[in-house]
Amino acid sequence: MSKIKGFCCNYTLSVEVDALKEEGLVPEDLEIERLPCTGRLEVPEILDAFTQGAEAVFVVGCQVDKCHNLSGSYRASKRVKYAKKILEELDMNPDLVEMFFAGRGETEPVVEAARTMASRA
Amino acid sequence: MCTMYCPRPVVDTYNERLDITRAPHIDYAQAIPSSYYIDAKACLRVNYETCNLCAQTCTAGAIDFTQQPKELDLSVGAVVLAPGFGRVDEKVLEKFGYGRYPDVLTSFEFERLTCASGPSEGHIVRPSDNKRPKKIAFLQCIGSRDETCGNGYCSSVCCMYAIKEASVAKEHEPDLDISIFFMDVRTMGKGFDDARKRAQEKYGINVIRARVPRVDQVDGKLALTWTTGDGEHHSGLFDMVVLSVGLESPEDADLISRVADIELNHYNFCRTSVDAPLVSSRNGVLVAGAFQGPKDIPESVTQASGAAAIASELLAEARNSQTVTVTYPEEDKALEEEEPRIGVFVCHCGVNIAGVVDVKAVRDYAGTLPGVVLYEDTLYSCSQDALKSIAEKIKENRLNRVVISACSPRTHEPLFQETLRSIGLNPALVEMANIRDQCAWVHAQEPEKATEKAKDLVRMAVAKARLLAPLEQPTVDVTPSALVIGAGAAGMSAALSIADQGYKVVLVEKGRSLGGNLKRLTWTLDGQDASKVLKDMVKKVKAHRNIEVLTSAQVESVSGYVGNFTSTISKGGKTQMINHGVIVLATGGREYKPKGYGYGDSTRVMTQLELEEKLARGKGFLRNAKNVVMIQCVGSRGDDMTHCSRLCCTQAVKNALKLKEAKPEVNVFVFYRDMRTYGFYEDLYREARKKGVKFIRYTSDRKPEVIKLSRGIKVRAYDELIGDDIEIPASLVVLSTGIAPGDNQELSKIIKAPLTSDGFFLEAHAKLRPVEVAVDGVYLCGLAHGPKSLEESVAQAKAAAAKATIPLAKGKVAVAPIVSKVNQDLCIGCGICESLCPFNAITLEKVGKRKKARTITASCKGCGICASHCPTIAISMGGFTDEAIMAQIHAFSPEGCEEE
Repeated sequence: MSKIKGFCCNYTLSVEVDALKEEGLVPEDLEIERLPCTGRLEVPEILDAFTQGAEAVFVVGCQVDKCHNLSGSYRASKRVKYAKKILEELDMNPDLVEMFFAGRGETEPVVEAARTMASRA
Repeated sequence: MCTMYCPRPVVDTYNERLDITRAPHIDYAQAIPSSYYIDAKACLRVNYETCNLCAQTCTAGAIDFTQQPKELDLSVGAVVLAPGFGRVDEKVLEKFGYGRYPDVLTSFEFERLTCASGPSEGHIVRPSDNKRPKKIAFLQCIGSRDETCGNGYCSSVCCMYAIKEASVAKEHEPDLDISIFFMDVRTMGKGFDDARKRAQEKYGINVIRARVPRVDQVDGKLALTWTTGDGEHHSGLFDMVVLSVGLESPEDADLISRVADIELNHYNFCRTSVDAPLVSSRNGVLVAGAFQGPKDIPESVTQASGAAAIASELLAEARNSQTVTVTYPEEDKALEEEEPRIGVFVCHCGVNIAGVVDVKAVRDYAGTLPGVVLYEDTLYSCSQDALKSIAEKIKENRLNRVVISACSPRTHEPLFQETLRSIGLNPALVEMANIRDQCAWVHAQEPEKATEKAKDLVRMAVAKARLLAPLEQPTVDVTPSALVIGAGAAGMSAALSIADQGYKVVLVEKGRSLGGNLKRLTWTLDGQDASKVLKDMVKKVKAHRNIEVLTSAQVESVSGYVGNFTSTISKGGKTQMINHGVIVLATGGREYKPKGYGYGDSTRVMTQLELEEKLARGKGFLRNAKNVVMIQCVGSRGDDMTHCSRLCCTQAVKNALKLKEAKPEVNVFVFYRDMRTYGFYEDLYREARKKGVKFIRYTSDRKPEVIKLSRGIKVRAYDELIGDDIEIPASLVVLSTGIAPGDNQELSKIIKAPLTSDGFFLEAHAKLRPVEVAVDGVYLCGLAHGPKSLEESVAQAKAAAAKATIPLAKGKVAVAPIVSKVNQDLCIGCGICESLCPFNAITLEKVGKRKKARTITASCKGCGICASHCPTIAISMGGFTDEAIMAQIHAFSPEGCEEE
């Protein structure tokens, strides 16, 4: 299992992760899971990533006011907040999970998110 | 000087704002006129009445701030509009990250980057960090074939220029990884497909058929995503993205249209018609170049000549009414024959030469050379004042040889020759030493060595000058008539134009009637009735009193040279001789007769022209038709003919639309490799897609097959998107057969006009002389030159007519003095020279009992092949005699000079 796990909405990140790794733009141990919409992401899934060995987890969705599915990324951000709370209760660092937003098709915010999380892990 | 002292920096618009220059500047070294100008918007003197530095520093006193704008009234007989093209709006480019990401460039900017005289001296660097990029992507169709920005047309030139820029970049940096993203690769120009192949095979440039929707930046790299024809998504990172921007109508097209009172088309280009592509909606207002529609350099140059021809037709009566004839004083033969009295003028060229080479030292050195009686330095030898003073000094000192030690004879020798002529000296008595290009420029870092080399060059030039001999400048009278070979659309247009300009024309056609391939056309590409165009043309030709038509006739032989050709023409078993001054080749081409695809086996398989003929007769034959399959590039771009036939794509689209019009429920499938509906024909392609014509791409290694069934036929082909073979039961199969060259072989031998590897006639220079043949006095137009549409043929025919009337109008052809001369006493009549001469300029004639070679001066180009091969050294070249060249070489070592 990779150390950094990211969940991406279908409308962000236009470059394949392997290409980004090749260029050294993102950490080698990054794994990205592409979702049709981050709104479908449930809290257990985020926590599951940790149980499977991830050291940090992030979610990238559309800009809140420009979400392709209207409220998808807003829901995701709420669920990330719950996940943070649970981590706190478990005495873990709540910053190990984070929500990020990216414009349509933009890759750069995803790369930044991966780097930020790598520094926290 | 002015540029150096000006305190006002301005952005260099010539270098696409990538560099900075000063308010007074010259756009580029070859600009015409080659003089500096002041950017009035930036100049401090003009705007704030301060500064005035440049006017004080200009040693020539050429800056005059008192000049005011003037209004001129000219009365003219014709107006030619050639405002060129406009730029695609930056808003369109912003979609692709231009302006947001520094490493997204336009193709114009990239062109400047790859140019040795550009802002980075030809090194390709990223604007963001000045580092060399490794991966470059070219995005095509930016601002063309894009309805979202209002430009639904194809800009026609971007595919080829992107390939050119990529090839130039690869030549400079072989490790570059370059990908070009095309929709269709539209390299339909003459020889362009070969260049594309070379780019792919030799330079390894990746051709990707996909349209990239947007450009994204990730940590300084540019991210692209695209989808290929098989439906796969791809993405990649690049260091630099070049946007191949299209050509738009000029920004002030509306203003031009109002001022000139002409109509524009729906894309704001000048409106013209297929049978008169250079004529605007207003009588006497002509158009040439990209304002008529996007086009490349060869076509623009062709159109420009064509517009000149039409202007000459309109002005035929006024010809020579306002010409000024230059007169020269008698040559001073006595002075020329005296011992050489050489004058050496060493030029500073401002700081161009003097900045590196020690001009005064070179001047003084020249004075020590034997035969030199005058040695001087001049600031700008080529300025009017300096020329005058040089002329005076030549007279005062009775010089009879002049050495100008300055720049390139290619650009400036005629100027100095003219000066000599104006004071009664033979122009051949001037010699140039190019110490600017060959010393100051290339050795800018080593001024001392550059000075030594300049001395060497001057010494060598002086040595040669001592042996210069005056050369005659003969002129030959011209027979004021033309022979036009071939009476298709091109031949008839050319004949009409020459005749309208007031010269006799003999129009020779090998077929029984006039019209050529135009006879078989039913509609022109813009939907006009082709037979009407043909009828009008034939009527005019037949009625014209200056045109003599010979049908069922053939040219047997052509002898003579520009101005004085004699041709033998056979007609019905009889031959006749015709004298004429020029020849226009308009021999046309023919429809390629396809092999395979079941052509000839089944009546259901036909060519596009045959389909047109059927459609013209009525739509009855479509009664039971369900599926019509068209196959593109049959014959073209393949094994039989390597060239692209240019117009079959548009022809297929046009006929598909006609089919849809005749029977909307019929399914039309078009199997293509690249749809090359360039220019405004893109509209037709879009319309066909909208009307439901199905376009399916195939590759040359997986061609569609026509399979004969017991009843009917079917077409099997690979569909990339499905990833599998598809089968279509076809009611009709229409083959888009290309254009094959006519039987040019024999004529090529008769006229000594070279052919391309495809069998078409080769023009003298693709861009600069697109309608001339290497042989003087022979001009070229229509399908004989290469595949092209009716519109292009007519424009080219006019251009050929323009060029052909130049010698006719002059009445005399001047023969360049640098020609070969045979010493018949030495000649042994071996004939080597005659067989080698590429211009037919040497003949063997009987002198007494033996054969001797003789140069036909009017045809000789002075290439020197004959002189270098003559076994008895009987041939010498004017201006470059063996003795003079040997003296020049000997003078290379200083000792050699003393020996002389």
